[in-house]
Amino acid sequence: MRVYISGMGIISPLGKGIPKTGEAIQKSLTGIRPLTLFSTASNQPLPVGEAAGPIEDESLPRTHQLARLAADQAMAKSKETPDAVVMGVTTGGMWTTEALLKKKARDPKLFCLHATGSVAEDIARRYRCTGPALTVSTACASGAAAIKIALEMLRSGSVKRVLAGGADSLCRLTYYGFNSLQLVDPESARPFDQNRRGMSVAEGAAMLLLVANEPHNAVAEILGGGLSCDAYHPATPHPRGQGALAAMQAAIEDAGISVADIDYINLHGTGTLDNDISEARAIDTLYDRQKPLMSSVKGAFGHSLAAAGAIEAVVCAISISNGLVPATVGCRHPDPDLKLEPVIQPTQRPIGTVLSNSFGFGGNNAAVVYSACGKHKPNRTCAQTQPMAILSSACVTGAGNANQTMKAIAAGKTCAGMLGIEEISANLSAGDVRRLKRFPRLALSLAIAAHENSGESDDPSAVFLGTGWGALSETSDFLTRLFETDEQFPSPIDFIGSVHNAAAGQIAMRFQATGANITMTGGDYSFEQALMAAGLLSNSIDDTFLVIGADESHPQLSRLFDRSASGSAILSDGGGALCLKAGPSASGFTIQPVFFESRENNPEVISSLIQRLERPQQINDRYGVILAGFPAACRREGEMQLQTLLAITGFNQPVIDYRKLTGEFASASAVAAVMAVKFLHDGQIPEALCKDKSVELGAKGALIIGTGDFITAMEVMPQ
Amino acid sequence: MEKLIKELQVKVVEVLNLIDVQPDDIKVDNQLVGGDLGIDSIDVLEMVIMIEKDYGVKVDNRELGVKVFATLGTLAEYIHKSSPELPN
Repeated sequence: MRVYISGMGIISPLGKGIPKTGEAIQKSLTGIRPLTLFSTASNQPLPVGEAAGPIEDESLPRTHQLARLAADQAMAKSKETPDAVVMGVTTGGMWTTEALLKKKARDPKLFCLHATGSVAEDIARRYRCTGPALTVSTACASGAAAIKIALEMLRSGSVKRVLAGGADSLCRLTYYGFNSLQLVDPESARPFDQNRRGMSVAEGAAMLLLVANEPHNAVAEILGGGLSCDAYHPATPHPRGQGALAAMQAAIEDAGISVADIDYINLHGTGTLDNDISEARAIDTLYDRQKPLMSSVKGAFGHSLAAAGAIEAVVCAISISNGLVPATVGCRHPDPDLKLEPVIQPTQRPIGTVLSNSFGFGGNNAAVVYSACGKHKPNRTCAQTQPMAILSSACVTGAGNANQTMKAIAAGKTCAGMLGIEEISANLSAGDVRRLKRFPRLALSLAIAAHENSGESDDPSAVFLGTGWGALSETSDFLTRLFETDEQFPSPIDFIGSVHNAAAGQIAMRFQATGANITMTGGDYSFEQALMAAGLLSNSIDDTFLVIGADESHPQLSRLFDRSASGSAILSDGGGALCLKAGPSASGFTIQPVFFESRENNPEVISSLIQRLERPQQINDRYGVILAGFPAACRREGEMQLQTLLAITGFNQPVIDYRKLTGEFASASAVAAVMAVKFLHDGQIPEALCKDKSVELGAKGALIIGTGDFITAMEVMPQ
Repeated sequence: MEKLIKELQVKVVEVLNLIDVQPDDIKVDNQLVGGDLGIDSIDVLEMVIMIEKDYGVKVDNRELGVKVFATLGTLAEYIHKSSPELPN
């Protein structure tokens, strides 16, 4: 099957819209200028890439505004709603949040668009998309990884039209954070130049409407994508570019082409010393003969983090449609040590096939292949995602580890609360935890426990992590110190740790997991999103992989950000982890995400869910228990949604209100998944949860339902 | 100088959260980065901020950083030589 780009939109430091962007590339312009967006303690603000976009709505955070400006263009000629939205986002509402925290605002309503996931949700609402609104937060690889996930959704046949891309606005966190790492070139980014000194932090958004059937206005095709992880260092790329090479090779293989087919490589080329060496070495290994034309546009657009991969998808499409290879703006004297000859002047040349690279913190790498329509034979057929075999599980809650949690749950007792930092670090060494605060410790500890329980001697090769809020302690500590020191002395360690995918990067380093490494941040549905991503990518993973949901509770930020925590008497956190393998397992159970739709603009959502669930078997025959999650902020609505489901289906078996047992935290559904595995393993539901009578499960499975703003369903089934 | 070294030993342990390391374990002439203490390039950046904040001393490029953070002794020497806040 083929996947086409049928609409595109872009807003960047080079302007808004495809024609303007094409013109800027043709003229080799740069959008990098000294910062004006906010005042700094220094008299000499650093050069950045600010996007000049009209402010549509003052109440909307800047990332959301940028995303809307790009998405409106992509959707301008489309009458049909997209079936799904997939976005790479790392900063979300941070620019607004920082200003609020600085003036010590304490009203949770003001922070309602802080979450990275709120950008994709806003875009989905804008176009009345009722399907999944997914958010990928894999640092600077997010935009490209989002496009890869969208590609796999289309290949799975579950959707026909996906609006995919990335958006990030400038904010103090990234401006000061990258500078604290000495990764910012004070003169503006000079990728691959012998005098390069770093990147230029930027902002922007780009969105692509991707469709499975050839539209009359197809711009280009997406042939394939590849993901990898360096599993080497939290912030520095592998010195020989091993991860970058693996991602490019995977993308080329996925596209069904050879390296010789590539006419142009759009390099990641940030302009940092280490990235450019690492990428150049990877390219050198990939090509033993003549290399294709290559350039980086980061000296023109700056580095817009999660938006970069999507912005560069647009650049690649312009390159193909206009026969134009962009210049490596900023590069005047190519570094001879790199053995790379980047294109210095914009060059007119027929371009049929392009490889685009995006790499990020946590060792995350993504590469995508674009081509002119019909240039290559289709490489892949449409294939539905399959259930994944569960090898083992682990969880942690306020009650303790998996054993302690399951014991409390069997007795019908709540596990709400937070363990002490020492307790969550019990299976971690002093070296492991030195630089890790609460969230990465929770996630790493869960990953280690799930892997140990699997009894597998081989390490997992891929990691999928869902988190509603990520590293709150690192984020809070970074901003607190930034403000306390008059924006002069931010902590580099906290900045690296604050990135949403830092924890998944730590897990990859622990296990040398060099396959896909995906962090999804979709609020209360983050674990479900991570499981979806795993399901979509599992076919290309030969070994075991981890799917984890985890969240930390933070004494200040949780009540400001998480509506369900705001109203809770006690703060809770924890998570769950599953060690999985693609395909059937010799013994045990499987898990599969089966439904994900929003309730907004979707009055028939429960009927849609039932239609999905009762195929091929009636719900009472298929499931022996429902675990239902009602986030406190939308409990009443969630309960009504469940009642509708029960009334229509006549489901008459136990329904467990799992958040009453786990406590309120975004990834509580990961613990529910571990509960389901335990119930199936025991063959029964504990008496305390079924009105004091034990219920046998027999050959039935468990259904885990999420309610509220989205209705989700995952099933854990015996084989 | 001795006072500064003692002070730095405590600060390095504290700022880098070196669990299992006592201030005295950081020897004046031993390799500071990449050695037994487990200190790496990220820690160097944290120390760069620390010496700027506490002593007003800047290290703004990698080449200089390699020299300054070679050992605790070279760090102390550089701070002693460059700090506007210490008597020279």
